[in-house]
Amino acid sequence: MLRYWFGLGLATVLALSASPVTRASEVDLVLNEENARQGVKQAPLPSASDLAFLRRIYVDLIARIPSEAEIREFEAWPAETRRDKIIDKLMADPRFLERWTVFFEDMLRLRTNATGGAALISFVHKALSENMPYDELARRLLVANGKAGRTPEVGFILGDDADPMAMASVTAQVFLGTRIGCAQCHDHPFDVWKRQDFYGMAAYFGKTRRVESQLTRVVYTTEVDQSTVMWPPDENASEPRKPMAPRFPFPIEEDNGSLRFLGRLAQLRAPKETKVVKNPAASVDDLLADADTKVKTRVGLGGNGLDPQAEAKKDIRKIDIQASLQSQSELRNKLAELVTSPRNRYFARNLVNRMWKELIGRGFVEPIDDFRKDNPASHPVTLDYLSEEFVANGYDLRFLIKTIVRTDVYRRHRAPSDTEDAVRQELEVAFLATPMRRMISESLYDSIVTAGHLFEFKHPAGANEVVTYEKIRVPKTVDGKPAKLSTPMLFGGRPMAGMAGMAGAGMAGSTPGYALEDAIELDFTKVLDEEGEEVAVEQMRVMSREELEAERMMKERMARGEGVEYVEKTIKRVADANPKFNTSLKMESPAPQGHFLRVFGQPTRQDLGEARDESATMRQALMMLNGRLTHEASRVGPLEPVASLLQGERPDVPGAIKLAYREIMTREPSAAELSEAREIVAGAASPMEGMADLRWVLLNCNEFRFLP
Amino acid sequence: MACAGYFATRRAMLAATGASILGMPVRHLLANAGKDHVQKAEHVILFWNGGGMTHLDTWDPKPGRPTQGEFQPIKTSAPGVEISEIFPQVAKQMHHAAIVRSIAGTQGDHGRATYQLQTSYLPGPNLIHPGLGSVVAHEVPNMGDLPAYISISGFAPRAGYLGQKCEAYYVGNPGEKDPYLAFPEGIAEVRGNRRLEVLERFNTRFAGTKQDPRLSDTKTSIDDAVRLMRSPALEAFELAKVDQATIDRYGDNPFGRGALLAKRLVDKGVRFVQINRGGFDTHTGNFPAMRAHGEVMDPALASLVADLAADGMLEKTLVIMLSEFGRTPNVNANAGRDHHAAVFSCFMAGGGLRGGQVIGSSDKDGYEPHDRPVKVPDLHATVCHALGIDPAKEVMTPLQRAMKLVDGGETVKELFA
Repeated sequence: MLRYWFGLGLATVLALSASPVTRASEVDLVLNEENARQGVKQAPLPSASDLAFLRRIYVDLIARIPSEAEIREFEAWPAETRRDKIIDKLMADPRFLERWTVFFEDMLRLRTNATGGAALISFVHKALSENMPYDELARRLLVANGKAGRTPEVGFILGDDADPMAMASVTAQVFLGTRIGCAQCHDHPFDVWKRQDFYGMAAYFGKTRRVESQLTRVVYTTEVDQSTVMWPPDENASEPRKPMAPRFPFPIEEDNGSLRFLGRLAQLRAPKETKVVKNPAASVDDLLADADTKVKTRVGLGGNGLDPQAEAKKDIRKIDIQASLQSQSELRNKLAELVTSPRNRYFARNLVNRMWKELIGRGFVEPIDDFRKDNPASHPVTLDYLSEEFVANGYDLRFLIKTIVRTDVYRRHRAPSDTEDAVRQELEVAFLATPMRRMISESLYDSIVTAGHLFEFKHPAGANEVVTYEKIRVPKTVDGKPAKLSTPMLFGGRPMAGMAGMAGAGMAGSTPGYALEDAIELDFTKVLDEEGEEVAVEQMRVMSREELEAERMMKERMARGEGVEYVEKTIKRVADANPKFNTSLKMESPAPQGHFLRVFGQPTRQDLGEARDESATMRQALMMLNGRLTHEASRVGPLEPVASLLQGERPDVPGAIKLAYREIMTREPSAAELSEAREIVAGAASPMEGMADLRWVLLNCNEFRFLP
Repeated sequence: MACAGYFATRRAMLAATGASILGMPVRHLLANAGKDHVQKAEHVILFWNGGGMTHLDTWDPKPGRPTQGEFQPIKTSAPGVEISEIFPQVAKQMHHAAIVRSIAGTQGDHGRATYQLQTSYLPGPNLIHPGLGSVVAHEVPNMGDLPAYISISGFAPRAGYLGQKCEAYYVGNPGEKDPYLAFPEGIAEVRGNRRLEVLERFNTRFAGTKQDPRLSDTKTSIDDAVRLMRSPALEAFELAKVDQATIDRYGDNPFGRGALLAKRLVDKGVRFVQINRGGFDTHTGNFPAMRAHGEVMDPALASLVADLAADGMLEKTLVIMLSEFGRTPNVNANAGRDHHAAVFSCFMAGGGLRGGQVIGSSDKDGYEPHDRPVKVPDLHATVCHALGIDPAKEVMTPLQRAMKLVDGGETVKELFA
């Protein structure tokens, strides 16, 4: 056991070994055997300390670090059961649903700004809250037909404009971890996929159409008789082109009784009666109601003098929308059955591999969407064991998450920082050491907010009042008096500042110029109304800098406009700039370009196979060093617990430092760190400022953003 | 941001070392090896006119034709080249500039056309192609402390598969303070620097002896940021220090200030500056709108070209003004012009091209290309050519799909002849 870290020094080894050793789960036993068979000689790193585990599990399950109160709660529980207990507690937290919605947003490439995208995100959130089996979730996304927003699932194929070629690639890559997209243009160079396989897959989507009414902008999908997927694919082929017959290119295993997990799944599902699914299709009246408002808006803008009602009706009646919405896609039903079949090994393996990667930091198959013969899993037996258990337990996502975080693998220590690179990699590939993982951007944002006590006010009301004077122009009304100030025309040298403040109603204490660090909450439960229909969420968006600029330019043009008279006024604004931040888990997703979340690697979710970018960039550094979020999180608020330790007659600076380390790093400082921190605090103009300096450093350092 | 610095190609590294082989400077060898890629330009200033700018009322006037509209053509400093009367100052700089009048676009939808004009590719359902600025930032080594690619006043295309390091650095309102380039308000220089020292100590300790590359990447990113924060080059952003007469010459408005800022950024080594402006979607009231645009654009563009030329920077700086398409030659019932992609124009100056010429032509009424049609990717290939970038070079997407920097396209060689 000492083989790989006797260089560490005895004290370190003892400290590592002293941490509690958990009972090896079944997964660990299978993995250990597999490692032994593969001739792996190294010993695993011991389990990380309780507090390191606590930080890891909080960030992984609910996307933020624990607060001091939560650390204490955990420490008060019995040592033998506290790790299991905290898992159960966090999985019941509402943030668990939000955090794992983000996982599926990345995997399924969900976007609030795509057609029906916000409704689809709400649908996934709801599916997680109901613990919908994963196979059902996938099936519903693949078969849906209907109107964007009204039938939330249809947002999935609308995200790629229901294009058969795109959907063939997406289905294979997202649900089966396989890149067959290359076979669209040529036989796959490194794999078995032929062009026929790709077109056979695409053919399942060949009769599906995205329809958009030119007048009402209502978007829906429907089925037609004629497929658009033709073979041979080349338009100038010598042979005549015919519609391609759908064919599923992935192996479906025989059910000859030898696959025990199939029997277990059948047994689990047998007693349950099939639920009657409410027909999600829209009625003509629904569409008309919707069309009406949209047409009114457009007429108001364009002024083309049409009767909106009549036009909308004419437009909609032209197509037998009721019938087409009701039409089910036979082909896609068949495809969904094959994709989600328990006898299609790729389906469960793909999800298990993705989930394992998310929690452990490394997939059995890497990259996670490149399953193929030449790229075998590092531990095929373990992957299959977990996959079969996942299937046998009814594709239960909570079961899978819980199983993984209860393994020894999840709890292992990182390789010590003086381990040779090659050795470290060996350890990580064999899952004997935890790889260095950076928090995803949402977790980083929310962890800074948590550490800095910014979810609630930490300054008394009025302590941060800012008085600004602004010159504004308001259009004169007919009687010559200024109009209401609600939409001031901006004027003078600082238009951006005012705009940033006006960007969203729900933004508390937003400071000029820092809009890219704000998070405006979008309530998942309210995106879908009682009827399950998407409501407008545009107003809840954070405006990107470009949008702000566009708005500013528009206003500038309006301000130049002829025929409107303006009154110039100087107004005094008093704002209580008491900082308070919202969670980033509920905002528009993906965030606008340039937003904190995007800068720290949130994907655009346009590209297929786009992973979270974990590279470090100068923009990240500028945002962390000079941004408002880190600055406000570092500043000590009088209402924070640490303030009372720094002020008053008997200040307790060491106590305050320990608290800062626990709140920000989820650990106690070492003796050396404590004395170093005392110097930092003492060297500042005041203990409050010194504490702010210390906290700023802690929030900015690598240890904060990389998980222990 | 130090994009090319991170992905420095062998070719660039060799060139940067100033090494020589067989007594011939490597730079020359490389230039010869790159066949006809003769590198002259080092910077690009791209004006992006969003909405689809009318070609007939700007660079391609049709005097005496029913599609002429309300403007008259004017003579320019380039013999035989006439442009619209809304550009009286630009007309005096035409001997530096060239106009392409035969861009044959294919996309009449704002979104798709913008995507193609900015990336050379048509949008696909599951891949984001990099914009021209990102391509340049990826291919050309950094110069100076400032980011290689800066976008002023709004939208710039994404870097796509070239990665986050090739994204544009945004400047919202030119002349306004960027809060991220200095310590937060209330943190004095001394205090901020002390924080940075302590941070470096903490990070060094955490990294241990065998540095995980990801930890050292954080250090590099912080070093880059601090270098930028401390860089004297930041002064380029401070338009408050520019005398008012100069600002007035460009126009004391966001566009004029943007053009002036672009000039100052290029002087500091920035490789690609994009200046964005919207409001060209003139379906109604095309003529007063274009007259107003002219009042803003004319002094800015003319002053920029004149100042670059006066400083000897024009040879090294390609100025290009693009829009996603042109507008219909026929004027509609609302005195506007609608989307028209079949033919439109663009303005270019500097970067080693021969001034005072017109490439191609549209038909007599401005509906279709008449002579020497130029495809959209040809424009991108041309910009690459000016910078010595091989537009056919392939880069790998995250899925290991090889993508050309430009979607086909051939350099418009006459520009440089």
